[in-house]
Amino acid sequence: MGGFFSSLFSGLFGTREMRILILGLDGAGKTTILYRLQVGEVVTTIPTIGFNVETVTYKNLKFQVWDLGGQTSIRPYWRCYYSNTDAVIYVVDSSDRDRMGISKSELVAMLEEEELKKAILVVFANKQDMEQAMTPTEVANSLGLPALKDRKWQIFKTSATKGTGLDEAMEWLVESLKSRQ
Amino acid sequence: MFAKLKKKIAEEAATATPRPGRLPRSYSKESITSVGADSGDDFASDGSSSRDDLSSQILRRNDQIRKLEAKLSDYAEQLRLMQKTKEKLEIALEKHQDSSMRKLQEQNESFQANRAKMAEGMALALEKKDQEWTEKMAALEKEKSSLEARLDQSLSLFQKRDDLDELEGFQMQELAKVKHMLLRKEEQLSQRERELKLRGEELNTARLTLAHTEEKLYELGEVHEETLSINAQLRAHRDKLLSEKDEAERRISDLEAGEEELQRLIRQVSEDFQKAQRATRALQKSMESLQSEHDELKLRHEQHKGKEEERERLLAGLQEKALSLEHRLEANLSQDEHLQELFKEKSLLKERLEEARGELLKERANHTAAVSSLEAQISRLNANVSELQTLLRHKDDSSRSYRERTDAQIADLEQRLSDSAEKLRSLEEQLEKKVTHGEKLQVEWAEERERLQQQVSTQRQRGLEKTAKLEEEILALQREREAEISLHQDNVKLLEEQKNTVKKLSLELENSKAELNSRQTVSVEIAKALEETRKQREELQQQVSKMSESAQRAEQEACRLSEQVGVKEAELSSLREELQATRSGLFSLQVECEALRTESEEKDAQIESLRQEILTHTQQADPNQSKECEVDSVTAQLQDVEVCVSEQNGSITVGDVDELQRANKEFEQQLSEKNKTIKQLQQRLTELKRTLQKELKLKPDADSDTKEKLQEGKPSSEAPVPAAAPTPAPGSVQGPGLAAYSSQTKVTNSSDLTDTREINFEYLKHVVLKFMSSREAEAYQLIRAVSVLLHFTREEEDMLKQMLEYKMSWFGSKPTPKGIVRPSVSGTPSSWM
Repeated sequence: MGGFFSSLFSGLFGTREMRILILGLDGAGKTTILYRLQVGEVVTTIPTIGFNVETVTYKNLKFQVWDLGGQTSIRPYWRCYYSNTDAVIYVVDSSDRDRMGISKSELVAMLEEEELKKAILVVFANKQDMEQAMTPTEVANSLGLPALKDRKWQIFKTSATKGTGLDEAMEWLVESLKSRQ
Repeated sequence: MFAKLKKKIAEEAATATPRPGRLPRSYSKESITSVGADSGDDFASDGSSSRDDLSSQILRRNDQIRKLEAKLSDYAEQLRLMQKTKEKLEIALEKHQDSSMRKLQEQNESFQANRAKMAEGMALALEKKDQEWTEKMAALEKEKSSLEARLDQSLSLFQKRDDLDELEGFQMQELAKVKHMLLRKEEQLSQRERELKLRGEELNTARLTLAHTEEKLYELGEVHEETLSINAQLRAHRDKLLSEKDEAERRISDLEAGEEELQRLIRQVSEDFQKAQRATRALQKSMESLQSEHDELKLRHEQHKGKEEERERLLAGLQEKALSLEHRLEANLSQDEHLQELFKEKSLLKERLEEARGELLKERANHTAAVSSLEAQISRLNANVSELQTLLRHKDDSSRSYRERTDAQIADLEQRLSDSAEKLRSLEEQLEKKVTHGEKLQVEWAEERERLQQQVSTQRQRGLEKTAKLEEEILALQREREAEISLHQDNVKLLEEQKNTVKKLSLELENSKAELNSRQTVSVEIAKALEETRKQREELQQQVSKMSESAQRAEQEACRLSEQVGVKEAELSSLREELQATRSGLFSLQVECEALRTESEEKDAQIESLRQEILTHTQQADPNQSKECEVDSVTAQLQDVEVCVSEQNGSITVGDVDELQRANKEFEQQLSEKNKTIKQLQQRLTELKRTLQKELKLKPDADSDTKEKLQEGKPSSEAPVPAAAPTPAPGSVQGPGLAAYSSQTKVTNSSDLTDTREINFEYLKHVVLKFMSSREAEAYQLIRAVSVLLHFTREEEDMLKQMLEYKMSWFGSKPTPKGIVRPSVSGTPSSWM
């Protein structure tokens, strides 16, 4: 009842918060991206044991952005947060070629979840400022993105520390979220 | 065998699951609770429906229960059947086991008996052989001791020989000393020569300094000449300047003469001028006199004029008188005579008047003439004066111009004079300066020259002194040198002679003594040295004599010893012969042994086969603890068997035993090697353990993936330690060890799960903290995570959701907390974890 009213209320005023998850392996830069999006600054981060949740306003849209810790032991808990998710930002460390396979398997497992069938997927090929970084197409191929069906997805090359590519990615996300509504 | 049976049983048990009593608790619980949960869900969802529905539902449930019970009974029957079959199988298994055990025991017993017999036979043979060998060894040791005693004697002989060598060494040392003295003398000579060279160098340097000073002197002389030439130049300059001065003076005198002439001229001119002035003054005086005359004349003229006037007045008076008289005459005719006379007087007076008039006219004419002449004269004089004045003026002008000219000339001249005087003065000053400079230079030069001369003289003197000194020194040194050389030569000769004397003994020494006497100037020292050497020589001679004596004695001893040695050698040869004989005996024995060995190889093969059998038995038997004693017993059996074999084969036992022992040794070696390898492996394992523990300590926050691996690795590293701990029995150690390994790893996997839980505790803490602190919209999303982490049941999760929804919404009633009503019911952990 209350949920219905609250949803009605928020629907009336058009201020429903979009729920976005930032996922990815440990050390991919999820927390850095979250705070770059929120405060526009590079913060020093420690490995997230748990999660960070922040409200980010972008283009008059409010996002409830969840940055879930990506360490191996707490990756299974991601699925606890999947319900009511509008979009998933999947962050990949472009310079970590060794763990690209693990990243792919995690992504595939995530996308198979029923609760995320409607979620938009944005892949951030992060750490593009590194010398040995893979290109976005390389990252997309190694993640098996071209094989995805029934999924609205896009990949962007980003550098959270330099702040490049984040705006384009958010622009695309906002547009695609608006068009979906 | 058992494993297979157990597997079978397990499979059978698995197929017969739904039997009560034998099922694991969790299964039953789950089935019950799942049913209960379903009902609960139904109940919860249909909470608002009527009671009729409930009853119908109960009825349905009852039916279901009945069905289930029927099923259960079926299952029980099946189970019973299974149990029967199982019992049958167990009985069969026991039978089988018993039979196998019996077989084993029988085999073991027979083997042990055989082995014990063989071992006893072998031991006896061995002891006999040992006794024989020990006897032989004792005999040999005795011989060895006697030989050693002889050897000691020969050693003392060698020592004496060494003493002789030492004496020779002393002689050589003495010779070396003499040589050393010679060498020192030569060194002294070379030193003196060096000193001489140094002196020579000093002399050279002194000469060089002298040359330098001479050069300096020469330079100074040049400077002096230069200064002289400068002086001459200055003098010439001075002369020139003096001549110039003379010329200037001459010019000055000329100019003065010109001046004087000019002054004379001026004086003449002034005299002329004065003359002219005097003339003018005279002329002026004459003019003044003329003017005064003119004035006088004018005065006279005026007087004349006054007189004329008086005369005219007199005439007028007389005419009046004449008129008056005529009147009187006319009036007085009587007076005619008197009128006549008055007429006469009037005529007379008229005449006189006319005469005065004439005179006056004449005078007047004269006067006018005089005046005119005078005036002419004056005019003439005036003209003259004017001429003179013009002349004077001219003269003045000319004189003025001349004077001006002369003044200018004089000024110029004076100026020139002053200039020239100044020049002269400056020149004179310059000259003076130059002269003074020249003088100074001369003085300085003279001083310098004196100084230099003094220096030169002093240096020369010094140089001379030095040279003299040096020459003296040189001479002295040369003398010394000569003396030394002579000395040295003498010394050398003497020393050589001494050497010769030392070498050839006394004859040449006397010659040298004679020479020494002839050259007495050279030395008491040498004589002393000679005496010393003499003494030394004597000593040496004495020593040599002693040594020769000792050497002779030593030689005698050596001869004796050599004789003894010969005797000993003879003995030794005899002993050797004996040894060879014994060796030949030994060889024959060895041959026998080899023959025995060849026969025993067959036995060995038998033994090995037996051993293999034993090994298989031991492998089959209980592995760990009983193995060793079994092996021991088996070896005892083996020995028995060997003894038996030896007994069976009769007299060939010794070689057989050797073979067996060798085989035993090989086995033991293998065993020890294996033990070593096992120890090494243990060490590696302990190292690995340590490193693992270190890494665990270092990286507590590392990826839990690795942690899991480590925790899996940990028990695996611990596992083989207890397996390898008991003293490993030969052969069959590794099989059971590995088995223990695998079993222990399986066991530890369960503890690993608890570790991951501990790791996840931090995550749980964080999530719960966030859940409690975050706003409701976020907390709502976190319910799932919290319920998963804390293993909430679905009801509890739903309850939480409802509570949050109630909190978030403005409407609705507070939901009843269902989860808390029945806390005793343990829910199933959600299936997807």
